Amino acid sequence: MALKLRQFALMALPVLLFIIILWYGIGWNIYVSLTSYSLYKPRLDFVGLGTYSDLFSDTAFINAIKITFAWAALLVLLGNLVGLLIAVAIFQFESARLRSLLTSYFVYPLAVPLVASGVIWRWLFDSAKGFNVYLSKLGLPEIQWLSGWNALWSLIGVSVWVYGGFIALLYLAAFYNVPRDVIDSALVDGADALTLMAKVVIPHSKLGLLLGTIFSFLFALQMFDLPYSVLFTNPFTMTMVIYMYNKFAYMIINISAAACVFLIALSAIIVIPYATYGIRKWILKVM
Amino acid sequence: MKFKLNVLVATVILVATSTLWILPLYALVAGSVKSLADAMGSPLLDLPRIPDFETIVRAFNALAGSMLNTAIIAIPATFIAVLIGSLAAFAIYLRGGRVANYVPPLIAITTYIPYQALIVPLISLIRQAEEVLKVPLYDTLHGLFIVFLIYYTPMATLLMFIFTNNLPREIVEAALVDGMKPMTVYRRVVLPLLGPGFVATLIFMLVQMWNNFFIPLSMTRGYEKHITLRIFSYVGQAGTIYNEMFAAAAIGSLPPLLIFVFLGRYFVRGLLTFTGGGR
Repeated sequence: MALKLRQFALMALPVLLFIIILWYGIGWNIYVSLTSYSLYKPRLDFVGLGTYSDLFSDTAFINAIKITFAWAALLVLLGNLVGLLIAVAIFQFESARLRSLLTSYFVYPLAVPLVASGVIWRWLFDSAKGFNVYLSKLGLPEIQWLSGWNALWSLIGVSVWVYGGFIALLYLAAFYNVPRDVIDSALVDGADALTLMAKVVIPHSKLGLLLGTIFSFLFALQMFDLPYSVLFTNPFTMTMVIYMYNKFAYMIINISAAACVFLIALSAIIVIPYATYGIRKWILKVM
Repeated sequence: MKFKLNVLVATVILVATSTLWILPLYALVAGSVKSLADAMGSPLLDLPRIPDFETIVRAFNALAGSMLNTAIIAIPATFIAVLIGSLAAFAIYLRGGRVANYVPPLIAITTYIPYQALIVPLISLIRQAEEVLKVPLYDTLHGLFIVFLIYYTPMATLLMFIFTNNLPREIVEAALVDGMKPMTVYRRVVLPLLGPGFVATLIFMLVQMWNNFFIPLSMTRGYEKHITLRIFSYVGQAGTIYNEMFAAAAIGSLPPLLIFVFLGRYFVRGLLTFTGGGR
């Protein structure tokens, strides 16, 4: 019993309007990126791909691409490793209550405003008041956490703290979906806990790896709050979103829009398959 | 009881990782109850010599205004986004066919691409709307509210569509066959059945809006209109004294953390649905 089109449009009207606005935003970025629109030339003169050649000859943008890619690669790698480790450890306990309590515990950084986390970590990395005090008490060499490229590695580490528990959650959700009889038959065969995890549970949980990878990649592409609240526009931690925001703040709108188009295109490689195929297959289960 | 090596190893791993995980929160709490002298002299992870709540009271007074602003925006925006989102989700579900095949992916694409990439066109639209309507929108609370709605309603619709899609179709169809209007079915049948999913979406959206920094940063001037801006305003103040900014960060993080402590399972469910791990 399908809803009449008119009725559908009426019930979904505000949402349809908002979706149109957001899609208009994608189109606007593409259009403006082909013009000379900026503070210096506040007119929509068509310049074709000129903006893009300006964008890609800006070393700051090339740097931002490299930083964002490094961030994505390391967050995918370390996030999955840490997430899997935590998930496997939590899975060893039998009690469902304990499992869900522990899982929530590791997810808590996602409930804290990233700006607040930025404030805390900035001080934890402080050479006079932070980790270094304790390192030198233990007789270990001090680390310049936030100087030069160290800043990038340190903040990538912080992002693993932010998202690691969330990735563990994805793995655990996958573990719980491993058919009970598969686990039972492995146990009957005398598998110990390590064999059970390595040969049965983890191989059955590829969806955890896939979703963990998809979302750590997407979160890395969106990285803004954390580097911006710790180091503002420091060149060593300037991600693509910070670059884009900076150009916008200085009213160089066409370059900002071109950076947005590049960022959207990059995320589309993952987002389009996920939004068209992944959701239907894994969540809605209609395929 | 049989000794289990795997449980022992798991315990060791979890004790180590959970200590690391709590460290920032511990530093936050410890730092925000340190007195000025204590904060100047002692490193971050040392316990406060004598807990001093003056800093936190001062931070609360300083932050109360922006907390109120954030609440005034985020709470109604959350409810409205989830309500109209769930209604639209139900309409998509009922309409079925091509609408159900094409509209959710269109929503999902805008939800999962970096949302920051759409802020400039949105602000330019807001500027045009100001000229047409002759009402200020940029740098106002209601303008921020509108932009939150535009961003988060599609996301809420997607989550609610996922929950709605899990409903048993027979119940909904039976109600329609009985001659109930779609809106009545939504109110009497769908909403009660969707209870937990609805709450999960609400909680997830509320935390997102409270914690969002980029949208208020781009949409407003100054630091007063959103709590994350207010926390950020402390970062610029250099020096060696961290108790003030820790107190501010603690106060600003308290509402989402309390929600997380008491309604964490809804938050986790919303998060899992958002990222495909849920059912």
